[in-house]
Amino acid sequence: MSEAVLKLENLSKAYSLGKRSVQALSNLNLQVNKGEFVAIMGPSGSGKTTLLNVLGCLDKPTGGRVLLDEVDVTKLPEKELYKIRSSKIGFVFQTFNLLPYLNARENVELPMEGTKKSKSERKRRASELLGMVGLSGREEHRPQRLSAGEQQRVAIARALANDPAIILADEPTGNLDSKNKYEIVRLLANLNINQGTTIIMVTHDSQMASQTERLFFLNDGKITKEKQGRHLAKKKLTCPYCGSRTQLGDAICPSCKKRL
Amino acid sequence: MAIMISIPAGITANQASTETLTQNLSDTITQTEATINQTLTQIDCTLAPNFEGFGFAPPDMGDSSFVPPDDGSRFVPPEFGGGFRPGEFGGGAFGRGGTTAMNETLYSDISSVENVAAVALALEASEGTEQTMEMMGRSFTRLIPDYVIKGVSLTSDLVGNYPILPTNITDGRNLQAGDSGVVLLSENNTAFFNAGVGDTVEILDQSFTVIGVYGSSGVEDVMTLYMNLSDAQSVTNNTGYITSLTVFADSSDVVTEVATAISSLHPELSVTTGQQRLDQLEAMKTNYQTALENAESTVAQTQSVAVQEIIVAVAATSLIVMFVMLYTVRERTKEIGTLKAIGFSNWTVMSQFMLEGVFLSLIAGVVGIAIASVAAPALSGLLLPAVAQGTFGRGFTSVANPETTVAITLTPELILLALGAAVLLGTLGSLYPAWRASRTRPAEAMRYE
Repeated sequence: MSEAVLKLENLSKAYSLGKRSVQALSNLNLQVNKGEFVAIMGPSGSGKTTLLNVLGCLDKPTGGRVLLDEVDVTKLPEKELYKIRSSKIGFVFQTFNLLPYLNARENVELPMEGTKKSKSERKRRASELLGMVGLSGREEHRPQRLSAGEQQRVAIARALANDPAIILADEPTGNLDSKNKYEIVRLLANLNINQGTTIIMVTHDSQMASQTERLFFLNDGKITKEKQGRHLAKKKLTCPYCGSRTQLGDAICPSCKKRL
Repeated sequence: MAIMISIPAGITANQASTETLTQNLSDTITQTEATINQTLTQIDCTLAPNFEGFGFAPPDMGDSSFVPPDDGSRFVPPEFGGGFRPGEFGGGAFGRGGTTAMNETLYSDISSVENVAAVALALEASEGTEQTMEMMGRSFTRLIPDYVIKGVSLTSDLVGNYPILPTNITDGRNLQAGDSGVVLLSENNTAFFNAGVGDTVEILDQSFTVIGVYGSSGVEDVMTLYMNLSDAQSVTNNTGYITSLTVFADSSDVVTEVATAISSLHPELSVTTGQQRLDQLEAMKTNYQTALENAESTVAQTQSVAVQEIIVAVAATSLIVMFVMLYTVRERTKEIGTLKAIGFSNWTVMSQFMLEGVFLSLIAGVVGIAIASVAAPALSGLLLPAVAQGTFGRGFTSVANPETTVAITLTPELILLALGAAVLLGTLGSLYPAWRASRTRPAEAMRYE
């Protein structure tokens, strides 16, 4: 049995909308192991975002426990939570959420502020991460001078800055065209394979979700279905153009010769 | 910010001008007292009734000895409707409301009154340009004097023995017994005539040689020039007429008796003794006091207005900072959410926004100082009541005048204070918005577009 990084026990979350109470999550149980790449799928209103917010310590559940690296984060006060967010979790957002007045490198350095790393160390680490997501040489570019896909890469690099235990990606491909979608998912898959990063991706895009190792289907605040991902278990990826299998790290599809 | 700097500058300036004013007034009172004490044996006799201070001479005296000036006469009261002339006490023109000419021969009997040591005759006439002004539907003619001619009897028993001439000669020499065709100018006269000792000046078409110049005895500008009585009578076409008699008693003990004797001999005369003049001085002191109190109340008023204005400015500044920062926080909700999601603490977010607010306010402070350094006088003039000339009677104006120009300066202390205030207000104004920012729940902030 592999080591659990994240464990949800009877997790519930209710919102009160006026007099009405909305049960966004009800008695949810889930375990994500170290080094896994999982997707959470579901229609809108199924509680995906709520779940992700609770996982990311951005929101408090109304019941149950969230064990992150064996620490129950639901019991922690806000002044402890920010440390958890800073050191254990990396966020990737649908709208990238880069600070427009900072360049790519400075955006990546941002989470390292308040850590013990020296300024030069941060700089070196940021450049290294930007290299890892394929943005070497674009460190000094501001977000508006980067394409959507590039911006999301910067955001991924930023999420990785403090070596988090898990990466929470909220619709990371939602604002991207199909080519960039695949690139971002490939990047996440690469990170998962090469760096051993645990990734939880929320999406309603079944194509993207299928690129992962395990899929959870969320409906009405409950996990209704669990499915094996197509190829990540086999450490393989599918070419988006011809559907044939490619090796991770392939730049060109071996069968249709198109650029991946 | 500019307002906040200009106002204290204005207050300081107002205070300074009041202080100068106070100094001037008390100087004048001290000098006057000294002059009067020196001349306690002196009795001034004029035909015009003494109006204490302000007022006009009644047009008709109904008196046999009243001599209306004939057509050729140059006789004009030295200061029509004038007020105090504190500098001229020694000359005996205190509290005069207007002067009427009198025939000198009518009063030759005064010298034979018991205990009279000496009688000095004098003729005083103002020369200048007439100005007609409308007031309450009537037109008044007012003389703007260029200079005042004062003829004094230059006899050997008087000159040097009695205070009939100015004493502080700054150039040349004083008038002497028997001098004729010469004139003693005041420093103001030298400017008007553009002449000095030895020069010849034209006074009413007659030539006089300037024999000396005297400095003003008080704070006031003195316009009186002195000459022999007979010269003055001839030059103003008033031969045989005088405007005042100055009687010197044997001693200060008998002054009252002499005055009574003169009054009974010539009931039409207005007789003023040194003692009475001291009393008048007391009254004048009270007037000065009132004027000073007015000035002080103006300063107090200025300060209360300033305090109100500063409170408004402070409130406005902090509110502006607050609204700007609240807007910023609202505008950047997503950014705040992102920062919090990637692990920024509440404190970091709060201090970030506080710092921004303080910086904003500091820039405003610097801009304000720049504006104030140029516009402070205009601004404080607009915003504050000033210690103005109008606060005082006409007589006082001349005392206060030279210093009432309100000089507004920005001291380094004031600038530092303003910058300190800017930082403080920035902190105050951004406190709530920064707190709001730090409270932003990242989950909500994330979905904020």
